[in-house]
Order: sequence, then structure tokens, then C-alpha cells
Amino acid sequence: MRQIVRLFALAAAAALSLASIAQTPRSGGELVFPVPSEPPSYDGHREETFGLIHPFAPFYNTLLRVDPNDTGGTKPAPSLAESWTVSPDSKTYTFKLRSGVKFHDGSEMTSKDVKASYDKIIFPPAGVGSTRQGQYAVVEAVEAPDAYTVRFRLKYASASFLASLLSPYNFIYKADTLAKDMNWYEKNIMGTGPFTFVEHVKGSHVVGKKNANYWDQGKPYLDGFRAIFMPSSSAQVAAVRAERAHIQFRGFSPKDRDTLKAALGDKITVQESPWDCILMVGINHEKKPFDDKRVRRALSLALDRHEASKSLSQIAIVKAVAGVQVPGTPFATPPEELNKLAGYWTDAAKSRAEARRLLKEAGVPEGFSFTFTNRGVPMPYEPLAVWMIDQWRQIGLNVKQEVLEGAAYFTPLRTGGTQVHMDFQCGYIVEPDLDMYKFLSTSRNPANYGRYSDPVLDDLYDKQSRATNVEERKRLVRQFEKRLLDEEAHYLMTLQWHRIIPHSSKLKGWTVTPSHYLNNTLDTVWLTQ
Amino acid sequence: MRAGMTGYILKRLLLIIPTLFGVAVLIFLLLRVVPGDVVEARYMGQGGQFQSQEQMQLERKKLGLDQPMWKQFTTWMAGIARLDFGLSMWTGSPITEEIKLRFALSLQLAIMASTVATLLAIPLGILAAIKQDTWVDYAVRVFSIAGLAMPSFWLGILMILCMLIIFKWLPPMVFTPFWVNPWENLAQLFWPALAVGYRYSAVGTRMMRSAMLEVLREDYIRTARAKGLWMKLILSRHAMKNAILPVLTIISLEFAFLLGGLVVTEQVFNLNGLGMLFVEAIARRDYTLTQALVMLVATTFLIVNFAVDIAYAWLDPRIRYR
Repeated sequence: MRQIVRLFALAAAAALSLASIAQTPRSGGELVFPVPSEPPSYDGHREETFGLIHPFAPFYNTLLRVDPNDTGGTKPAPSLAESWTVSPDSKTYTFKLRSGVKFHDGSEMTSKDVKASYDKIIFPPAGVGSTRQGQYAVVEAVEAPDAYTVRFRLKYASASFLASLLSPYNFIYKADTLAKDMNWYEKNIMGTGPFTFVEHVKGSHVVGKKNANYWDQGKPYLDGFRAIFMPSSSAQVAAVRAERAHIQFRGFSPKDRDTLKAALGDKITVQESPWDCILMVGINHEKKPFDDKRVRRALSLALDRHEASKSLSQIAIVKAVAGVQVPGTPFATPPEELNKLAGYWTDAAKSRAEARRLLKEAGVPEGFSFTFTNRGVPMPYEPLAVWMIDQWRQIGLNVKQEVLEGAAYFTPLRTGGTQVHMDFQCGYIVEPDLDMYKFLSTSRNPANYGRYSDPVLDDLYDKQSRATNVEERKRLVRQFEKRLLDEEAHYLMTLQWHRIIPHSSKLKGWTVTPSHYLNNTLDTVWLTQ
Repeated sequence: MRAGMTGYILKRLLLIIPTLFGVAVLIFLLLRVVPGDVVEARYMGQGGQFQSQEQMQLERKKLGLDQPMWKQFTTWMAGIARLDFGLSMWTGSPITEEIKLRFALSLQLAIMASTVATLLAIPLGILAAIKQDTWVDYAVRVFSIAGLAMPSFWLGILMILCMLIIFKWLPPMVFTPFWVNPWENLAQLFWPALAVGYRYSAVGTRMMRSAMLEVLREDYIRTARAKGLWMKLILSRHAMKNAILPVLTIISLEFAFLLGGLVVTEQVFNLNGLGMLFVEAIARRDYTLTQALVMLVATTFLIVNFAVDIAYAWLDPRIRYR
């Protein structure tokens, strides 16, 4: 009997040890992944497309990063800075940099490089483009008191400042190179990242190889990677299905996931997450009858978001019923509280009856017609628009859809030429300051195509932005959300996007997050064979 | 005769210049009529809410979009006169570099697809004509009607699915030039060439059949047969030379179209060709690149058309160019 017990114990120990071996990162192999879009330049400070991040982020490091294992995608983790402190008045952030970090040309990375990079982002000289300059309006100065210390002095305490440093776009460039030519990084690549640049054939692919001198000992695990530009989603699915590609980091549709799973079974692992992207309905407050908040509320009340969440999630990349924050993240409103807002009630019949009452009260006749301007992107713009038009018809509104392609879509939005339109936003991190900036009065944010002015909303935004107490900030975010979506119904939320990543089961060390801009440095990724 | 022919060739060559100028004016104006510009496409595509209007204006100034239209046009024309097409507004790279990369693939695909179309259309068309109203003719007609009914991208999707599901294989995803690795190159381009070539062979086959039938009823063919000439000789020396003219026109003009018109097929097979570049350039409002691509395709059309006209004169001695 004792022998049997011993045998079982040995077998269990062997199984455990095999399991641990299976999870021990293996070095070697080339990761292959399709990228649906190609960036115009290599400069992260200038571009804002995932087409830049997916193939080019592995060549760089940022000061901080989002913890690659954090599925919420909000937890700060060290990168080039190994630690940081915040002054008691929350106006000074001091970062201690790693020593011995080398650029790919062999020179050492110091605080001079971090300062030069952030100066380029926050205080770009005339003629130099910086897309995210506005996000750092709180910064007064960036200082480099010694070779391994960087200090950010803020004008006032900011609840989101640390999160803004997690931007995957804020590549650290070499100061001496920037001093010679501020635009050098638009056409050249040279960072401190885990991979070094091999080649970029335009319209075709990007190749990177392992940086043998990477500062994080033992990483990266991969010998290299090959990013292949592939705009067609059917070609991307075929590439994964034929096991020619391991993963596509942006996301696939539910149908693609099911196809891949059915074809490849255990060879495919599926990771899913709410996606920090949402389509919203912008309502032009300058056009009648949409200047009347009763009409705007009626438009929101008409939408049965809970039912749509069940049905649309079968065919489109949307799922969760959401407010201004991605569900499940630190500042998101819990469902039971969110369901009290107009348009979020669980009783659709009651909601629609109220919508009809409001329209009648506002003098909007049965069968009132308006044009809904949509962007010519099939997924998920098309299914969401079809769903909303049907929902609005159920409260007696007659909606004509106008679909505009690419750049043509922004002109009527910007010039106030729409009545009701589809609007969107995607973030690199779930953070109220970034997610709610869109809804500030048009005078503060011209990208608010609702064309309204709401000083109360602006004030709530500013207060939450400066609230250093988490609970106080949550309360202010909820107030903002209630005013935006319920009391004034300035904008209507559709459904939160849902990120679906079916990838080869050979791929390990990568965790899905709510943002398709995150977790693409590839230093933790490895292949089982 | 020779002087008339030379004059005709010169006249046709000179006509190319005003035609190209007309194309240039048209594309320049049409692009600017469409709403939106490259700066908007670049910065608003992802939301662009932190992008200030001042920054956008600065970008427009850098690209010369703040200049009056006539100045933009004359600058472009002056560049073309020096064979300098300028920089892509989207990437900032020289346009010749952007096009060169894709041109090799598109040219090879156009040649391969045209070859497939010719190799299918001519023998099948002749066969159907000489075996008129037999099962051979019916089979060829069904084959060609099926080709007309199926868009090449759809056939491409079917091919990919078959390769994927039955053979668990997919063509290479990245273009390799023929001289670097012929096998990789052909493994990638053979399938789209087959899909596209079959589609275009269908038109050619039907054209070849009807032209051949018409020629075979001509008096001179009857005379040749009455003289006891071999049928093979009649077909190759007398009938085919005359029947091939319309087929030649179709296949040649399709060749020019194939250079920049295979947008969906390129997407299906993930080919980095001129068609995709064209669509991307238009969607991004990359004026300079779109203009250069239109001029390239227009020039190709004109050259091919010119070559077809010359070939007509050679193939059909009855044609007199005076």
C-alpha cells in the first residue's frame, strides 16, 4: 500500500514538474503576425495608429509600461524607469532610471534621452508634430538632475498623470539624434527595445531580430518577429488557420473566432476582453429638434442595450453595456447603478413608452425623419447602425442612413453638417481623463462634434481630473456620466467593443488587455515550438 | 504606304501628350472636389481629439495644401516635366520609390494573367468554332460563361479555401522577386494569375469563337478549301490571322487594366500590388500618389492602345492608315 502511495506521489511530482517545464519560457523561434494597417511614419510621437505600435513598438522602450500580465490594462509597471516617487503635494514625479541600458547603436541611455523625448512630445519646437501634446498640458517642466533621474514638475496635481506616462507611443529616442534632427525618427528606427530593426518593405512586412544586448537579462525569448501587412480580414484569418501566422493583435470577429476554433481545435487559444473602444451617437445640438434634451433622451431610451448585447455580440465585435468607462475597470459604474440611467433600464417597453412620451411632449411628430451619418467601415459600424435605426423606428422615428467613407466622413462632423452621426473613440488605457475629454464643451475640445457648451460638465471633468482621492474621483466620474448620458443626453453610448484574440496555442507569455495599443513590446512572448 | 504609316504613327504618338494633359487636369480637379484631405485622414482616423487645429494647419502648410489650386497644379506639372513626381503626402517618401516596390509584382501578375488568358482563349475559341454545335463547342461555351459569371476575387477565395481545407496549404504571404526565389515567387503569383486569367480568357474565348466563325464563312476561306488546302494551313495562315484581331485588342487592354485594377484580388491573396496602393492612396487623400498612379495607368493604356493599333496594321494588310 505504501508503495502504491509512493508511486502516486512520484507520478504527481512528475506531472507537476512537467507542467512547470511546459510553462518555462523557451527561447527561439520567429513570431509571425499580420497587421491590418501600415503607419505613415515611424515616429510614435507623431502617429496614432495601432499600425505603428504592432510592428514598431518592439524596437523601443517607454519610461513606464502597463504591466504585461494585467488583464485590466491599467497597472503601471517599470520599464526604463525602475522606480518612482510622488511628492506629498502630488506635483512632482521623480523617476529613477535603470543603468546600463543601451541604444541599438551601443550608446548608453540616460536621463538626457528621456528628457529630450518628453520635451519633444510636450513642448515640440515649431514645425515638429506631436499628436499627444494636449494630454500633457499639466506638465510645467521635465528635468534631468542627474544621469539616472528624471523629474516631471506639474502645474497642479493630476489624477491621471502617471497613467498618461503609460502611453505605448512615448518611445524614448536618443537625445543627440533629436538635437541634430527632430524629424529623424519619422524615417529611421533606433531605440533600446528588445528587438533590433532588420527591414521594412513598404506594403509588405517588417522584420525584427532579437537584441542580444537587451537590458532585461534573458529576454526577449523570441529570435525575431515578422509583421506582415494584411488589410483583408479574410486573409488574416486564413493566415492563422493555415498556421502561417501565430496571432493578429488587434482582434477578430466572433465568426472568425468560431471558424478558427472549429478548424484548429486545441491548436487555437482564445483570449477575450472588453475593448477600450466604443461607438457613440453624436447629436448635433445646433440642429432642431436635437437642441431639446427630451428628444436626445428619447433617442437613448429607444435603445434596448441589454438585448442588443446578447444578440449583436454573436455577429459583431461589441458586447458589454457600458457608460463612460470600460466595464470592470476601476472607475466604471457598477451595472446596477448604470441601469438607472436613461436608456439603460432593463424594461425596454417602459423605456420606449417614456421615449414616445418625451417626443410627444417636445412636439416631435410620429414618423419624424432625420439623417444618421455613419462611417463607411463595416465592423462594427454597420451592424450597430442597422440596430439603432430599427430601435428608433420603434418609437416612431424614420431614419435615413448616410454612409461616408474615410476622410469624407470627418468633414460634415467638423463643420456641423450632420443631424445625428456615429462617433467613436479608442484609448490606449482606461482612464477617465482620457476617456471623458471627448465630451467637454466644443470650445474646449473641437473634436466634440455634438457642438454643445456645458460648463457644468466641464467643471465636473476638471474636478475629477484633480481629485487625488480615488473614492472622491469615482463619485465625480459618476456625476459626469449621469449628466452626459442621462440628464442632458449629450452623447449616446452604443455597446463596448469586445476584443477577441484567437491565437496559436504555441504562443505564450502574452495577455489580452482592453487596449489593442498595449502589450506589443513582445519581450515576454515565447513560442513552445 | 510606308510614308502614310509613319505619319500615322507620329500622329498617334503626338496625340498621347494632350490626352495625358487632359487626364492630369481631370484627376487633379476630381481629387480636390472630394471632401477631406490627407491631414484629416491621418489624424482623425483614430479619433484625433488631442490634435489641435493649429497642428493640422501646420501639417497642411508643410504639404503645400494651403497654396492656391493653380499653384499646386503648376508645381505638379513642372515636376512631371522633370520626371519628378514628388513625395507621397502620406509617407513623405518619393513616389517613384512607393510605386517601384509594387510595380514589379503588378507587372508580373499582369503578364502571367494575360498569358493564362491568351493560352486559354485562343485554342478554346478556335476549337469551339471549328467544332460548332458539337459537345466540344457546348463544353467550351459553358466553360467560358462560367468564367464570365465568376468574379476573379470570388474564384480566388474559393481557391484559397480549397487549398486551406483540402491541402492545409496557403500560398506565401510576402512577395519574393522571381530572381531571388523562383519557386516562392510562382507559388504566390500562380494562383491569382490563374483566377484573373481565367476570368479574362472567358471574354477572349467567346470573342475568338465568334470571330473565327465569321472568318470561316468568308469567300477566301471557301476558295482555299475548294483549292484543296489542308484545314490546318487554312486555319493558321488565313483564318486565325484575321480572327485574332478583336481578341488581341481585348487582351491587350485588359493587360493595362490588370496593372492597377486588381484591388479585391490583391486583397484576397494579400498581394502588395498597385491596385491596393491605388485604393489606399485615394482613401488617404494622398493627392500626389493618386495623381502619379492615375498618370501611370493612363500612360500604360495609351501605350498599349498604340501598340495594338500598330499590330492591327501588321496583321491586317487591308487596313490603310491615310
